[in-house]
Amino acid sequence: MNDRLAHDPRPTDRGAWRLVAMRDFRVRLRDKGFFISTGITLAVLTVFILLRAFGDEVTPSFDLGITGTDEVEIQRTAAELDDVAEREGVELRVGFWDDVEEAEAAVRSGRLDAALVDDELVGDDSVPATLTQLVRNAFVRVRIAAALETGGASPSEIDAVLNRPAVEVRTLEPEDPDREENAGIAFIAVLLAYGQLFGYGVWVATGVIEEKASRVVEILLSAIRPRQLLAGKIAGIGLLGIVQLAFIAAYAIGLSVVTGALDIPSTAIGIALVVLVWFVMGFAFYAGLFAVSGSLVSRMEELQNAMVPINLIIFISFFISIGALESPDSPLSVVASILPFSSALAMPVRIALGSATPQQIALSISLLVAGTALFVPLSARLYAGAVLRTGGRVKLRDAWRSAPVTNGQG
Amino acid sequence: MLELTGLRRTFGDLVALDDVSFTVPEGRIVGFVGPNGAGKTTAMRIALGVLTPDAGSVRWRGEAVDARVRRRFGYMPEERGLYPKMRVLDQLVYLARLHGLGKADARRRAEETIEVLGVAERANDRVEALSLGNQQRVQLASALVHEPDLLVLDEPFSGLDPVGVDVLSGVLRRQAANHGVPVVFSSHQLELVERLCDSVVLIDRGRIVAQGTIGELRARRERRLVLVQVRGGADEWYASIPGVALVEVRTDGAVLELAGDVDEQRVLDLARASGDVVRFGPMHPTLAELFREVVSA
Repeated sequence: MNDRLAHDPRPTDRGAWRLVAMRDFRVRLRDKGFFISTGITLAVLTVFILLRAFGDEVTPSFDLGITGTDEVEIQRTAAELDDVAEREGVELRVGFWDDVEEAEAAVRSGRLDAALVDDELVGDDSVPATLTQLVRNAFVRVRIAAALETGGASPSEIDAVLNRPAVEVRTLEPEDPDREENAGIAFIAVLLAYGQLFGYGVWVATGVIEEKASRVVEILLSAIRPRQLLAGKIAGIGLLGIVQLAFIAAYAIGLSVVTGALDIPSTAIGIALVVLVWFVMGFAFYAGLFAVSGSLVSRMEELQNAMVPINLIIFISFFISIGALESPDSPLSVVASILPFSSALAMPVRIALGSATPQQIALSISLLVAGTALFVPLSARLYAGAVLRTGGRVKLRDAWRSAPVTNGQG
Repeated sequence: MLELTGLRRTFGDLVALDDVSFTVPEGRIVGFVGPNGAGKTTAMRIALGVLTPDAGSVRWRGEAVDARVRRRFGYMPEERGLYPKMRVLDQLVYLARLHGLGKADARRRAEETIEVLGVAERANDRVEALSLGNQQRVQLASALVHEPDLLVLDEPFSGLDPVGVDVLSGVLRRQAANHGVPVVFSSHQLELVERLCDSVVLIDRGRIVAQGTIGELRARRERRLVLVQVRGGADEWYASIPGVALVEVRTDGAVLELAGDVDEQRVLDLARASGDVVRFGPMHPTLAELFREVVSA
């Protein structure tokens, strides 16, 4: 202890928040819970992507037995059934049966999905709706053809009536062929962003309580300023959130490309980037509030209550964002995508669906950044005022009043 | 030198500190003594900037204390606290770095400090796995690890076994004597304070009621006490002397209080006239006695 270090008499403390951030990042990176949650997310995404990649190719197929008294009618109906099934993309195998009893026995045993006996469609305990629809369509066509024939129409005229497309589709706006796919990606993205915003926000709050409950915070605050401690904690945990989100996104997109679940990976990458950027801004906005709710209480059990207001806001934003997937241009979606309380989740959805205008995006970003700039110092003061007060729950007003004044070096 | 001047702090209606001023000179150990709730912790927290005063100032080497200066202070709070799940060495390295040390220095100092405090073999244990006594040593290490310019320790001896008390006493003496570090600590172990401290600050109900070296405190007090033991004489030989009153009768004699104008030589003469004087001398009150007197006043 005899050779003392040569200290700079006034060492700078500017890097203190970075030390805090590094510790918070590392400690949580090694946390078991972090690995488990990452693993679960990846597993769910894998299942989802694989279902999307390979699940779609299973076309419905049916076995239908057909029998009846009028041979000609049966033949006609069978021909129409083949026609309609092909048109609808349904695999339908039609077999002719001589005996009604046998056909019904086959239905009962499951060899046939249903049997068509004259005008009657016989199922075991039910008939698949698609099959019923097919049979109904075929019947209608048979009857129309018969009626036209009776009226003296030629086969080509009948064909023209039955097969000419009756309705042409025209859209006023250019149709986005990827809209459905983008909505799917946006749904997953907003789900992930919601989980991330909430989960990492709670991590900030519990991190604050840990330091408060273990009383280590007083030691820390004798070395660095509350603002540095708060900034470091938010930065460290937020960075981990970004890294995890980016990793999950990269994994999901990579897997989708390999399995062919996505047609255009570049859009997915674009959406992922938008969500990441909005996550960063949204996390910056909310994290301070989470930290304050953590600093107001002394024990983990009390945290749930203290977080109710923020949880509610984030949950409502999430809800509106899911709604925005359906109607991105509704007034509610537009307002939610602009207000800083909800834009972190709602705006990426509207951008992904191509419904946000550049002006709206610019306004949304400005408000979110301005809101963060307003909330962070506010949170820092409340945090500083509350974090050393142990015992019961600290009132916001008391926290505000007892915040240490930083005499200009704060 | 650390100077606290005119500190005032209230919590609601409670006045925790009222015009508290004292100094801790370079190389001196100052004991901060007072009953529970007197304001010791509040004053120390203010000195460390963890709490702000309603009025008054904290100056270090003549300048107002700001965050960068404070970073060079060592502090042991009354509410002990460390990261329970962090390893001892990692924890100390981290705290040293927060106090401004570089990576290599922080590591070297952390290792040295746990060596000195006798917890080196627990370097890689989690703090929560240590006994309370060892946690206390790690807590002390966290106050010392960055070679602070000033030490402010709130009840550093509580919870230490006698060996720990000796180790810590030695560390504090070396810090003050070899490195010129001002040390201020609070304690209820008054014999320890008496043995270790160059001077004492006595606080009661938020006010400083006495301060100075132990000698000064004794000299300054208004009561003049003498302990007299007379063999063979009349039981109450002193009863008729004007300005002399009995305080208490002990097995080793009677404690008499002399009024300001009473000449003690005359009292001695009267004692000898009454019998054989076995014992006659000024009573040096212990710090504990001074404490009781001042605090109950």
